[in-house]
Amino acid sequence: MSRRPPRGEYIETDTGNKVARKATLVGTQNIMLGGKTVIQQEVMIRGDLARSVQSSSSGGTPASNTAVAIGRYCFLSRGCCLRPPGRLYKGSFTYMPLRINDHVFVGPGSVIQAASIGSHVHIGAKVVIGEFAIIKDYVRILDGSVVPANMVIPSFSIVAGQPARVIGEVPEGGHETFELRDLYKTVGNNLPPAPS
Amino acid sequence: MAPLTPYTFIQCPCSDPSTLARSGDVAPSDADDDDRTFDPRAPRANFSLYPLEYLLYCEDCHQIRCPRCVAEEIVTYYCPNCLFEVPSSNLKSEGNRCTRSCFQCPICIGPLSVTSLESQPDPNLLAAPDHTAAPQAGPYILTCSYCNWSSTEVGIRFDKPNSIHAQLAKLRNGGEVRLTAKERRERRKEALQSGPVGAPAASEGDNGDLDIETQFANLKTFYQTQLADSNPGGNGLSLGDPGFASPNSLSRIMSIYTGGSLHDKKAKSRVGTMREALDSDEGLQIADLDETDAIKMLHEEGCDGTLSTEQLRNQPPHLGGAHLHGRSRFTSELRPIPYLLRTKRSKRCPICRHIISKPEPKMQSTRFRIRLVAGSYIPSITVRPLNVPGGTPAAPPETLRPLQPAQFLLTFKNPIFETVRVTLATPATTPGRFASKVTVLCPQFQIDANTDVWDEALKDNDRDRRRRKGDDGPSQSSSSASAQLQGQGGTHQAEAGKIWERGRNWVSIVVEVVPASLRLDLLPLIAKLAGDGAEEKVNVSPLKEDEDLLEIPMFVRIEWEVEGGGDEVGAAPSRDREAKEKKELAYWCVLGLGRVGQA
Ligand SMILES: [Zn+2]
Ligand SMILES: [Zn+2]
Ligand SMILES: [Zn+2]
Ligand SMILES: [Zn+2]
Repeated sequence: MSRRPPRGEYIETDTGNKVARKATLVGTQNIMLGGKTVIQQEVMIRGDLARSVQSSSSGGTPASNTAVAIGRYCFLSRGCCLRPPGRLYKGSFTYMPLRINDHVFVGPGSVIQAASIGSHVHIGAKVVIGEFAIIKDYVRILDGSVVPANMVIPSFSIVAGQPARVIGEVPEGGHETFELRDLYKTVGNNLPPAPS
Repeated sequence: MAPLTPYTFIQCPCSDPSTLARSGDVAPSDADDDDRTFDPRAPRANFSLYPLEYLLYCEDCHQIRCPRCVAEEIVTYYCPNCLFEVPSSNLKSEGNRCTRSCFQCPICIGPLSVTSLESQPDPNLLAAPDHTAAPQAGPYILTCSYCNWSSTEVGIRFDKPNSIHAQLAKLRNGGEVRLTAKERRERRKEALQSGPVGAPAASEGDNGDLDIETQFANLKTFYQTQLADSNPGGNGLSLGDPGFASPNSLSRIMSIYTGGSLHDKKAKSRVGTMREALDSDEGLQIADLDETDAIKMLHEEGCDGTLSTEQLRNQPPHLGGAHLHGRSRFTSELRPIPYLLRTKRSKRCPICRHIISKPEPKMQSTRFRIRLVAGSYIPSITVRPLNVPGGTPAAPPETLRPLQPAQFLLTFKNPIFETVRVTLATPATTPGRFASKVTVLCPQFQIDANTDVWDEALKDNDRDRRRRKGDDGPSQSSSSASAQLQGQGGTHQAEAGKIWERGRNWVSIVVEVVPASLRLDLLPLIAKLAGDGAEEKVNVSPLKEDEDLLEIPMFVRIEWEVEGGGDEVGAAPSRDREAKEKKELAYWCVLGLGRVGQA
């Protein structure tokens, strides 16, 4: 009924992703979105940095060359950057995929170069996650942290500092605060405040 | 200063309120207890206030439990870096650190990676999914990707890229290989077999050369032989022999340091004294009190070269190192820190011993078998500023203006499937030197039950149909009312005795505060007006840390009814099975509203 302008701030996909028109997604063919993920403006995702050296088993089929894989209900805040990590592999430089699971919040202005991020992870504002870091489930990384390359952060850690270190444990009652379903609903082109 | 986000902290009942008096600036006269309000600024209050997420709940005691009062039991040990579980039997023999290849940088505590010195750039050897790709060429070093420290700075290199821990234990700074305890024992055996007993055969070095572990081992063997040699006769005289050099005391001390394995019942009756160790083979170590080198180092490197307390604290004892004899250490001799193990723990109620939290023991699992969190039993309280006249949700002011009334919205959300009655009480003024006035506009109200899951589907539509309610009746949804509210916009006014808004399982009420002025010159005046003759004692010392913080102590009582269970201890046996049983829970909480501006 309501006549809204055809161009909203977000592009909403069939699987419920909300991608800001002002986000920069490079190499979209290498970016996988699980659905219901919000990508705000000025976010950059470097799908172009795909693995250039194929592992010997997959005999040169470039079919699945995912550079960045993102799960469901993730929220990428304004100005953050996702960049696959790179390293030397059998003598030549290659990028490796960056995998992010469900319910991962990335704060504004953060740079992510992890190898993998689990589910229910909250990354604050202006955080740097170094190359090949591995972040498990239910982890909270406070604003301004610098997670060194190759760091492994086990589940239920609260992490802060430069370099980041584990400063506490996520309490038992804090698991639900990682849920991003409600946050997902607050973003988009035609938002609820139009009942009836 | 960054504006403060309002918060709610809840006090666990384990902190006895009678001990919470502020010892310093509270006059002894108001020691009469019953109606004393909880003072969130009391030094002890820090230790009993928790955000709701940190609290657990015992279903048997019907009481809140906090991290300070629960009894913890370790379920699993694991390394936070390689994520391998460590059986608790290994802990006794190998200590509480990872014995694989997991190390932290001694300078910045970032993670260290194993790097090959030969084919220089492969800092990600450990992270590599397949190790076959790793160059086999040694030697290997540990490097920090954050501050670029590497183990070459203390002259340590490794032959193999794995089991670094075992390799490091054998290496001294500078790369010198030392004998392991086992090798030393074998050597000793050989020496004993080949040479005559007692001859200083194959001495491990000069006096200065004993490392801590070797010295301990030497002393231990020395005392063991001493004990064996001492005369086993002479019963019953043990009591009158307190000297350190007596075999009795010695065997007792040794049983302390060696885990009781040396304790020997026959030893009880030994008397007499024994000689002490005489050379390094027997464990004698002469203290090296020559500090010339340290002073020279200090001159060269200055304070920057010395350890920070944190670096010192993180540095594990190096048993293979030489005695420090009180000498301080320099950053240039720090060794890689093996990761401390982490644990998964279950928690018990301190009173009834029931388990109230129990994680799945597997390291990789994030599930819990039992997880009784307070958030599923008591209402959550959220605070946000209410901007009344304009109605625009403008950014909240950075600070509260002194003597200017401000309104805050408290939203109580009921997690349980029963309707709860909430009764609130706050002191009229906040405790402390700067007394702000507090008024809860609606201190008594009812919150509807957290209805069942099938309502979830409707929730989305319902969420924004808020409706202002004048009375405390049952809630009903009506879109016309919501439209009315929309239309009214900013004209919505807070009224005493009435709730602000209500929803499916939540209620919002308004709290009005008049922040106190932080002017110190007004304090005597206020005291004079109060007229209790206390103006002489007025404390006009400068503003202390966080004294500008406006925190309201609030007593919350919640009452609800449950189906007559009858299994409650102390509950009167109900005649009627259908009879509802009354439940009640009361606790203090603290609302942090913001900082008062200094105008
Ligand atoms: Zn407690
Ligand atoms: Zn480890
Ligand atoms: Zn470092
Ligand atoms: Zn209990």
